[in-house]
Parts: sequence; structure tokens; C-alpha cells
Amino acid sequence: MASFLRHYGSLIGMAAIVVFFWIALPDTFMTLRNWLNISQQLSMLIVVAVTMTVVMVMGDFDLSVGAMASLSGVVAAVLFAQGLPVPVALAVALAVGLLGGIANGVLVSLIGILPFVATLATMTMFSGAAFLVSGGKTIFGRDIPQEFADFARSGLPLGTWGGNLVVLPALTLVAAVVTLLVWIVLEHTIYGRRLYAIGGNADAARLAGVKVAQLRLSAFAFTGMGAALAGIMYASRVASANPVQGDGLMLTAIAAVFLGMTATRDGQPNVLATVAGVVTLGVMDNGLTQLQVDSYVRQVLVGAIILLAVSISALGRRAIRLR
Amino acid sequence: MPELRLSGIVKTFGPARALDRAALSLRGGEVHALMGENGAGKSTLIRILAGLESADSGEVTLDGALLRLGSPDLAKTAGFQFLHQENHVVPALSVAENMHLSRPYPQRFGLVHWTKLRTAAVDALGQLGASHIDARSVMGSLGAGDQMLVRIAATLLDDGDAPWAYVMDEPTAALSGAEAERLFKAIAALKATGAAILYVSHRMDEVMRLADRITVLRDGAHVATRDRAATNRDKIIRDMTGRDMTDLFPRHTATSGPPALLVRDLRAGGLGPLSFAVAEGEILGVAGLSGSGREVLLRALIGAVTRAGDLQLRGVPLAANPAGAWAQGLAYVPPERRTEGVMPRRALAETIALPHLARLSRLGFVQRRKTAGLVRRLAQDVRLKASGPDQPIAELSGGNQQKVLFARALAGDPAILLLDEPTRGVDVGAKFDIYTLIRDLAARGTAVIVASSDLPELIGLSDRIAILNAGRISQILPADGLTEAALLTACYQKES
Repeated sequence: MASFLRHYGSLIGMAAIVVFFWIALPDTFMTLRNWLNISQQLSMLIVVAVTMTVVMVMGDFDLSVGAMASLSGVVAAVLFAQGLPVPVALAVALAVGLLGGIANGVLVSLIGILPFVATLATMTMFSGAAFLVSGGKTIFGRDIPQEFADFARSGLPLGTWGGNLVVLPALTLVAAVVTLLVWIVLEHTIYGRRLYAIGGNADAARLAGVKVAQLRLSAFAFTGMGAALAGIMYASRVASANPVQGDGLMLTAIAAVFLGMTATRDGQPNVLATVAGVVTLGVMDNGLTQLQVDSYVRQVLVGAIILLAVSISALGRRAIRLR
Repeated sequence: MPELRLSGIVKTFGPARALDRAALSLRGGEVHALMGENGAGKSTLIRILAGLESADSGEVTLDGALLRLGSPDLAKTAGFQFLHQENHVVPALSVAENMHLSRPYPQRFGLVHWTKLRTAAVDALGQLGASHIDARSVMGSLGAGDQMLVRIAATLLDDGDAPWAYVMDEPTAALSGAEAERLFKAIAALKATGAAILYVSHRMDEVMRLADRITVLRDGAHVATRDRAATNRDKIIRDMTGRDMTDLFPRHTATSGPPALLVRDLRAGGLGPLSFAVAEGEILGVAGLSGSGREVLLRALIGAVTRAGDLQLRGVPLAANPAGAWAQGLAYVPPERRTEGVMPRRALAETIALPHLARLSRLGFVQRRKTAGLVRRLAQDVRLKASGPDQPIAELSGGNQQKVLFARALAGDPAILLLDEPTRGVDVGAKFDIYTLIRDLAARGTAVIVASSDLPELIGLSDRIAILNAGRISQILPADGLTEAALLTACYQKES
């Protein structure tokens, strides 16, 4: 029983949160419409958290993702304003994410700076760059092409439900594709298994023939691209871009990965667990908002839940060690 | 002189009987070695002394009076001091401060009295013959051996309750030869003060050199306690295993083929220039004192350190990085299992498969079934004792962890197998399995290079032994008929 709780305690907790809101909000919470809504709200966070998992698997992390999301959003918007075609602007914005990620990777794996320090510095730089590029202003209105703004409002029609057309939001679809892709890469390719080996013991991995430096570098590039994609998704959703709109993603994404880690058997990062973490945070946000809980109180509650989950997981692990 | 006696100690964990009427006596002024295979009950016995476990039954007396154990505090009151392989130190603080961590700092006017703190530390280090350690230097700048000396010296700080019995569990496991020598001097100094040392080690040479008496446990029971003068290496092995020493090394029929590895003018970190060749099916031993370059040679061959020189594997230039070397058919078992070998928290199958992932996958996708099959077959080949391929490595015994690394090395049927201290911290039973594996592999044509500080192992296993001295090969001797004494003498000789 105790070991059952230790392994599945977090999942049970997550389920309990869902059940709680289901009972507290009988009419509005457990509806398809609400869940599709949640999925769309969370899609950017899922992309950032899932690609963040790629570096966290190696025991590293990336503080610059939020600033990168802001930067890529304003880069795309500024290029739109210059009249560039949408695909070109988006490719450039993604390339900025790739380059930023490579820069992080070079600092961490080739120069040997701690990820905390390196990505804290690049976070500041990306943020500054976002202000420079945008001139500190929000880019909106006619500068944003209609087709780009429409993307976030479009979706895949799934059928009719109770007389209404049900549409899977395009952003949700993007997040699902990214999740599937990263899951396959981490769990089923050589590349992913080697990243896990680096997280298990970097020295041993190197002596076993893993090219640790190259892999670490490429993983940061992956994360940078993910952040840039999330920034573009954000800009499409709000049909505008400002130099701080992605900043909040970073802390929440790291929290989601940690929350997810408490649900895995071995206490290590895992893509599906990360998604479970994101969904838990999103569901709490959605449910508490519907219950009209004050947003400051909401913040305190969310923080407390994260602490609770991580504490229980830490205590469980200590119990295993003492056995 | 105080005398501690343990008799009839029984300890069970569920159905398993870890100790079955174990006994031990320890007198002040002696070094007492405790030996036995892994699982013989040494650790459990020590944990009972330390108060971390309670015995189910049995008697512990100190000078004839019944001694109550069962908590670390009681063990401390009884005068026991435990030193483990891992040093628990604060790397960023000075040596003197580290020594005072668990006791009050000397004070003056309510502030730390730095001069007194330092002189106390210097005095204690001096008593141990460890005056080469500067009490002001930062703990983290010291090697593992000096850190251990600092921890022993801390117990000598004059505060009235110096321990009388020191329990050292594999103290030299992480030490170099020179560091171990310093520790042995410190042990002699402790012994001269009338303290007792319970010395737990797998290393026969150390035990034969240090111990006054030797107690052997087998399957949790007391087998024998003998004076060192009244016993020898073979007798101890027989006590530990019920098997003779000569059986330990399987018979080898040397069949050396064409050269597998040609090394010309190799240089790397204080090593070389040196040249040698290893033939297919040959086992080449590498001997040398600490600092001779023995620790660097295999790292240079696998490409883990920067190197120069002309290295050819069956006529093809050898890659100078581990990834390339593995891909060309080299396999490497590193000397430091925990820090360089395994991924402790991850499934053992992952450690085994890691260097072979390219072969185990199609279009970059790892084929699970193929991987599982390989791991299952290898686990059988090396006689791995584990609950399954998903068991985290940290849960295995040292011998079985080493077998995981062997399984990994065997997986590719390597052209060259590089073994650095292949049986360090491994019990005698697992040692035998590992020696058999090495021999079988050589018989199938693999060239094997073994670097080891265990001289009997080198002699028993190798066809030829290369002697390293100051970074050069001073000579290469045939192992047949070589005695340990002759090999050791050769290690001390300069190039002739």
C-alpha cells in the first residue's frame, strides 16, 4: 500500500484535483467545451515545458525560454510589419530560437558555464533584445496579418455534439504534435536514450562513447526552438506581440516539469509526466478562476500545491533510502 | 588494554540470515582485519557496532561488562569511531575548521579563537604523522587520502573522549598507493597510542601487512580468528570461500595470433613515449607503482585524455575519442565504477545498451525487443544477480555492478578489451566469474589489456606483463612462472 501510494500518489492527487472541481462546478467544469478551452490556453506552456524536459533529462535547465518566447514573438511581428510573407517571418523567428538555443548550448557544454548562470545571462540578453526589436511597444492591429491571427482561431472540426460544432483548436493540435515528437525522440531514439544516460552519469556516458558535449549543445538548441515556437503561438493567439508576453512561461514550465517528476517511478523527467504537470497546473488555474477565487490567492494556492507534491515525493524517496 | 567481545551474534532480515552466530574480539593496541566475501556479514556486523542495526540475539561485552548498543550515540560513548570510504567533509572550509565541525570551536570573548583552532589542528595532525597537511588549506584541495587523515586526526583533538577503537571499512578503496602508505603510517601511530583498529578490506596485501589478527566470516558465521604469523594468503582464501587460491585463475591456453593493436610513440599526460603491440587472443597485463602512468595508459588508449602517437587497430588508425574507439571495436571497463561506469539510478539495461545503441536501432529508433534480448543474454553470460533488466544499478552489490560493466564490454564482441582495475572492491566469488569471462573472451580472439594494482591477479591472468616506470615501459615479462616478489621488484627498478 505504501509503495503503491509512493508510485501513484501524485497521479491520485492530480485526479483528486479534477474530481474536486467536477463536484464544485457541476455544470461548467467537466464539459468538452471547457477542456478544449483549457487545452488551448495551455498549448504554449505545453510546448515550452515539453521541450524544457529535453534539457532537464540531462540534469540541466534553461531559464531563458520565457524571454526567448517574447523575443521570437516580436521578431515575427516586426517582420510582418515590414511586409514580409508570413512563412518567411515565422522561419526567421524560429531561427532566432535555434540560434539562441545554440548559444546556450555553447556556453554550457563547450565553455562549461553552469546552466543556471549561462541561461540567466542569456535570459537578460534575449529580453533586452525583445525590447530593442520592438522599440518597447506592443505590435498589433493592422501590422499583424489576418491569416496569422486566424490560425489560432481555426481548428480541426471533430463533429457535432449537442447541436454545436466541436473544433479541436489548432494550437492544441500543434502542442500535441510537439509532445508526440519529443516523446518519440526521448523514449525511442538513440538520441533520447543518450540524453538520459548523460543525466544518469555524464562522465560514465562519455567513457561509454557518448558525445556528451555535442548532445548537450543540440538539446539546448531543441529547447530554444520550442520556446520560439511557443512565442509565435502566443502572438497568433492574442494577434499581437509585446516584449514581455512570454516571460511568465519559464517559471511555470519548470514547475510543471518538477511536478511531473513527482509522478514518475524513478523521479526523473519524462515528457508524459511533464504534460500531466502542465495539465494539473492549468486545471487548477481554470477551476479556481471559475470559482472566482482571487488571483493573488490563486497564486498562493498553486505554489502550495507544487510544494506539497514535491515534499510528499521527497519524503517517499527518503523512506525508500532508510529502508 | 580494553577488550571488546562479540559472541553468538544473530541478525535476520526477513527470511535471510545475515549473521549466524558471528563472533569477534578486539583488543586495544592491535590491528584486527575482518575479512569475508560480499554477503559474508561484515557490513551487518559493523552496522551493529555502529548502532545502526540491533542484533536479534548475542552478547557484546567491553572488559567483561555487558555493553548496550543500538544507537549511534551509544556507539560513540563506547568509544567507537567509524571511517567509511566516502569522506564526509565540507570542501569549502579549511582543514582546521573541518576538524572542529562536530565539536565546539575554541572561543575567546565569545568569538572564534582562530589561533587556538589552528594550533589544535596542527597538533592533532602531527600526532598522526600527517604534518605535511597544512591546517589552513581548504579541505577541497586535498586528495581523498589526506581528507581521510584529517578525519582521523579530528578524533585526536584533545577534548577528553578520544575513541579507543577505529572501524575502517575499505579505507583504501579510493586512495592512490602513496596516499595508502600515509594512511598505514597513521594506523601505526594510532596503534602505538593503544587504540584498536578494526580493518575491513578485500585487499590481501594490506591485510597481510597491517593486521595482527585476522577474523574471517563466511555466510554470517565466524570461521576462524588467527594471528597473522600463523596464517597465509591461501589459508585466508580457503577460509573465505572454501576454495583453494590456485583454483581462482582458470587455465589459459595461450594462442596468440596476429597483432590486434599496435602502439607507437604514445604520449599522454606524463606518459610515454611508449610503444608496444598486443596480439589477438593475448592478455597483456600492465603493472606499475602509483604514479608510473598505469592510471593513464588505458584512458589514453580509449581516447578519454588528449594523446599523441601512432595507434593502429588491425592496421586502421584508432580514433582518439571514446565514441570513435567504441565504434571501432574497443571496449573499456573504467577503474572507478561508481563515478565513471554506471548510471546509478537508471535501469541496468540502459548502462549495458548505451555504447551499442547504434547497432540496436534502425533509422535512429531503438528496437526494444532486440535490446531486451541482448541484455538478457549478456546478464546470463556474466551470471548477473539482479531482479531484472529494469533494476536500478545502485541496488546491486559491487560485484554485480562490475558484472554489468563487463556485460556492456562483452556485448560487441570487442576486438580489444581494456580493463582498468577489473576486480576492485569485488568479492572473491564474483572475481572468479570475471576472470573466467576474460579468459573466454581472449580464447575467442579478443586482445585484452589489464591494468591492475593487484599483482597476483596480473600474474594469474596475463600472458605477458608490461612494467610501467615513470611513464615508460621498463620491460615486458612473460607471466608464466613470475612470482609476486619478482614482479614487485621489477616495478621498483628503473629502466635497465
